[in-house]
Amino acid sequence: MSAPMFDVAVVGGGVMGATTALMLARGGLRTVILDRGPLCREASGVNAGTLTLHMTRASLIPYAVRGHELWLSADQWLGRGVAAVSTEGLSLAFTPAEEEMLHARAAARREYGAPIEIVPASRARAVEPGLSDQVRLAAYCPIDGFASSYLTGRAYREALVEAGAVVREGAAVIGVDSGDGGFSLRIAGAEPVRARRLVLAGGVWLEEMLGWLGLRIPVKCLINQLVVTERLRPVMRTVLSVANGLLSLKQFANGTVLIGGGWQGIGDPKRGGVQTIPENLIGNTRLARWVIPALAETRVARIWLGLEAETADAMPMIGAVPGVPDAFVIGSVHSGYTSGPYMGRLLADLILGREPERPLFDPSRLLEPQAAPALT
Amino acid sequence: MSLRIGHTVDRPGAVTITVDGTPVSAHPGESVAAALFAAGRRRLRESPRAGAPRGMFCLMGACQECVVIVGGRRVPACQTPVSEGLAVTTGVPW
Amino acid sequence: MSGAYDLIVLGAGPAGVGAAVTARSHGLSVLVVDENETTGGQVYRATPQAFATRADAPANPDKKEGAGQRQSLLASGAAVAFRHSVWQVSPGYRVDAVGQGGPVHWSAPAVIAATGTTERVVPFPGWTLPGVIGLAAATILLKSQQMLPGRRPVIAGCGPLLAAVAVAVLDGGGKPAAVLDLSGPGDWLAALPALASRPDLALRGLGWVVRLKAAGVPVHFRTGIAAVRETADGLAVTPCRVDADRRPLPDGAGQDIETDCVAVGHGLTPGTEITRLLRARHRFDAALGGWVAEHDADFRTSLPGLYVAGDGAGISGAAAAHLQGQLAGLAVARDLGRLGADAHETAAAPVRKRLAAAQRFGRAMARLMALRPAHAASVAPDTVVCRCEDVTRGEIDEAVAAGARDVNQLKAWTRCGMGPCQGRMCGETAASLVAEAVGSRGAAGLWTGRAPLRPVPMDLLTGDFTYADIPLPKAAPL
Repeated sequence: MSAPMFDVAVVGGGVMGATTALMLARGGLRTVILDRGPLCREASGVNAGTLTLHMTRASLIPYAVRGHELWLSADQWLGRGVAAVSTEGLSLAFTPAEEEMLHARAAARREYGAPIEIVPASRARAVEPGLSDQVRLAAYCPIDGFASSYLTGRAYREALVEAGAVVREGAAVIGVDSGDGGFSLRIAGAEPVRARRLVLAGGVWLEEMLGWLGLRIPVKCLINQLVVTERLRPVMRTVLSVANGLLSLKQFANGTVLIGGGWQGIGDPKRGGVQTIPENLIGNTRLARWVIPALAETRVARIWLGLEAETADAMPMIGAVPGVPDAFVIGSVHSGYTSGPYMGRLLADLILGREPERPLFDPSRLLEPQAAPALT
Repeated sequence: MSLRIGHTVDRPGAVTITVDGTPVSAHPGESVAAALFAAGRRRLRESPRAGAPRGMFCLMGACQECVVIVGGRRVPACQTPVSEGLAVTTGVPW
Repeated sequence: MSGAYDLIVLGAGPAGVGAAVTARSHGLSVLVVDENETTGGQVYRATPQAFATRADAPANPDKKEGAGQRQSLLASGAAVAFRHSVWQVSPGYRVDAVGQGGPVHWSAPAVIAATGTTERVVPFPGWTLPGVIGLAAATILLKSQQMLPGRRPVIAGCGPLLAAVAVAVLDGGGKPAAVLDLSGPGDWLAALPALASRPDLALRGLGWVVRLKAAGVPVHFRTGIAAVRETADGLAVTPCRVDADRRPLPDGAGQDIETDCVAVGHGLTPGTEITRLLRARHRFDAALGGWVAEHDADFRTSLPGLYVAGDGAGISGAAAAHLQGQLAGLAVARDLGRLGADAHETAAAPVRKRLAAAQRFGRAMARLMALRPAHAASVAPDTVVCRCEDVTRGEIDEAVAAGARDVNQLKAWTRCGMGPCQGRMCGETAASLVAEAVGSRGAAGLWTGRAPLRPVPMDLLTGDFTYADIPLPKAAPL
């Protein structure tokens, strides 16, 4: 008896892959999703959960706005929420140079529909009374929020199972062969999985995955540091960032404060996040304390590192894999957690033969010329 | 009756710390956790989710159950030595 | 304070002292870091420096050994950083700590993690009540603070600490209301052959038993705690008979015991925070207390320059820990080229021989204290397992039933182990429950190591600074 032929196999169980798989399964395709670990335990489960427009790449604002809506309504369409909260957001300037940057960045994001306005420090402190008195200027956005990203895996797992998708956690795909009108995925220590269509959604591992199909698209790996404090009395209510994008700060309902912003640690796709760089930890926490002085009262409870994928032009790749029929790729979305559910829907629409409501991001622009011959 | 064992060591003269404003007698060398335990003040905080009473547990700085506020800072009481006038706030509510 | 050394020893218990003194004797520059105010770790924990030991205080072999080790470290010329809490160890190696003066860091090509153990307590209703403390906590009160855990405490759990604490309570003028030992006389008999390897300790143990009997302290074997509840003036313990796997017997509950304190401990588990943080290879061995860093006969881990010694390398007791420290210290001297192969062998061979005997005893004790899966499985659904986050057994079961297949996934789904103790209190029970579903502790995995090793006060970490002191990286893309 030969192995069953799935309509589609999704490799990579983060938000992008899991949403795509969920929508495909709900669209009637016989779907399998594979991850070498548990679902949403890499970037999708360890990121800062920031649902902000202040840190989103300007041209991705329309996608992020839809993503924001989807996270806030996740209990309806996903079945289980991720403790998403809608609040306001402030981006702050502490120097004249940052004021300029704030103006320029707010204007660029406004152009793409973000309702961001520049406000004086006094207004910022009225919105967020715990703010430092060092703030010179702020950008205010009524659309902001945050989620508890560690809840993502459980929510998607239950939804996928409910939708009839086959969830293969702990199944490491190590290569892909073509034939029989489809793809055969080689799995470490297990029988191959066969499917007519293939979706690669492997985050920072996409470069290697695209290599299985003979394509070369470099994917840079950022090692983002995250810091969470112990519980603390309520000291803030909004999402805070700084003009240059190097801070994200929010306090969860349980009182813990999450400090992010993309300060770098040591790691790579092979080993994952390996080590915190002490200077970067101190820098990141100083910046947080500079913004909300009351953070001096608490203690750092835990530090970890999340891997983020970035293409050569720092824009996403979402769409058909060039030269390989029935193969698709999704990933490398800046602030990808925010817009992830929306991006997954768009790709699922493409695969299901529906017109996606917004343009995708053709990966062929990123192909390196010396690409090896396509899959044989 | 005191929990302090008397026949093995000579303790320095007692100092007074305040716990939530109330004076508590203690001896230099004692940790805040042990001094409060000996004074019968075992309940140090409430658990954040269930609101259940908690007190010192591991006494070696691992469990974090005995966290109190001293000098505006959260510290494990078991790792904090007493000193004259030390002001301790229990009931870290978060 | 900062600086570079040949070797940094983390932990100043018997293993750390053995390592530091040995490495110093071969000319290495050594720094020893510990959270406490002096050497001894938990086993030889000293009375506070402010206390003066009375001339007529009864002799105590542990105290003597601890004082001897303290002297040997001071005489060795090793640098010491007491009352410093290490929050990060980076490859290479760099050690970051906070002391009362703020953040400090040191570097060395070699690090020995001699971080001892965490006590395991398998939850029961009431284990979170104030007045219920660890058995190891009771020993710290008695040894260091010279304080009784209670006038009439209930002392419960397993292993040699039970009798040691009970006798120390008698010595201190109290009288235990009861000793509840999960082991049966047969379990102790099974350990006898190994006890013969340390007649001094075996005799001491026998002396304890005689002492308890003479004092009329009730000792109940094969008995655990069904529940503890608060009463008007203290606590009431409901004891419960257990079977050989430490599973409560259906009709095993006994008469409530009134008490003023419950000291309970179900064995020790190796402190692997540093080796996990550095991603050394680990293996699970229930007889050694749980997960341990893999190491060779000279206590080298899978990572060059990183060594382990003492109970953190597998529960073996204080005597073995000191010898393991010496072997690790010799290995560092050898690996840094300060000791030739022959000289190393000459120095190590007699230590290895003594270690074999010491380990035999220590590991027999460790086996008595090893976690029995049936014990963890007996935790009731509404009992809190994770103290920091108030996560109950029922919530863990629900997550496991929904597909959580290792401890880190369980943590993300339930917050079990996500609190400030970083899973030190709940880890063993939670992992045992996951293992029931996925087949083995190996499959259930171990918590990913994370900095900080202890919560770090933000004000100490960040220090005094201005905006210009924040090394802002280049701006994120727009």
